[in-house]
Amino acid sequence: MPYFEDVELGDEIGPLQTEATDYGVLEFCQVWDNRGPSRFTDQAMAEESRLPGPIVPGIMSMGIMARLLTDWAGTEALKDLDIVFRQPVPHHKPLTIAATVTDTRQEDGENLVECDILMTGAEGERYVGGKAIVVLPSKP
Amino acid sequence: MATELDYDRSLHDKEHEAGPFEVTESQIQAFSRGIAETNPIYTDPAAAKAQGFRAIVAPPTFCTIMVRQVSLSDINLKFNGAPMGGGMHAGQRVQSRAPIMAGDALTASSHLKDVYAKTGRSGTMVFIVWETTFRNQDGTVVADVQESFVRRG
Repeated sequence: MPYFEDVELGDEIGPLQTEATDYGVLEFCQVWDNRGPSRFTDQAMAEESRLPGPIVPGIMSMGIMARLLTDWAGTEALKDLDIVFRQPVPHHKPLTIAATVTDTRQEDGENLVECDILMTGAEGERYVGGKAIVVLPSKP
Repeated sequence: MATELDYDRSLHDKEHEAGPFEVTESQIQAFSRGIAETNPIYTDPAAAKAQGFRAIVAPPTFCTIMVRQVSLSDINLKFNGAPMGGGMHAGQRVQSRAPIMAGDALTASSHLKDVYAKTGRSGTMVFIVWETTFRNQDGTVVADVQESFVRRG
């Protein structure tokens, strides 16, 4: 886990390389009681929504993006994740999640690191973007 | 100039209560598998206890699945007098306040936070933002979640 004093503006976090599988999406949808066929799990229903194929739920993309930051800073470090869904995220495509530190400051006794975070595709597609705030410990 | 955007503004002041939502170990484990999360604090009760938690901890955006189970009101949106079509999920914000663990029972309190229009080359889009505060069984706020939806005019 990094210390606050070691982080500088412009530092890169990641990248995290992953992909969302049909099975992973199906299981994720079942957690939030979306058990029937949907544009997330079914080709025909995706096409009805004018999509080329099933897509990853936005809240699942968000969970994957949060993983980059909890892997980096610890399980309780992520305080704020604010994202915009720019393009539908397809199944079985390489996904790259990376973040860049845009601000470091101390506020109310906490060491805050603010960053831009982005999920992109192999062809440079900018699927999901946003901002995050992580709290880091000081050096002992 | 008369406003072009019409909706049920009383929803700004109405809190919609939902829950309790029981947080189970299997839900957290399935959520973690879905996002390929392997940190044992999210999957293994013994590992979570070793770090001082009474049960496995939910990943920080876990409560987004609870938001999807809150039935929000129709705001009866009209633009230039015409009802607007179905919405797309445009964005989401999660502010974590305290850990959520297996065995918690969360209640949700939601209200309409904002409605605003943006006009670009492709026409006018209206954004609808809902805010939900989650509390655990002790009344502690564990997360604030904002969800925004976009509709095209």
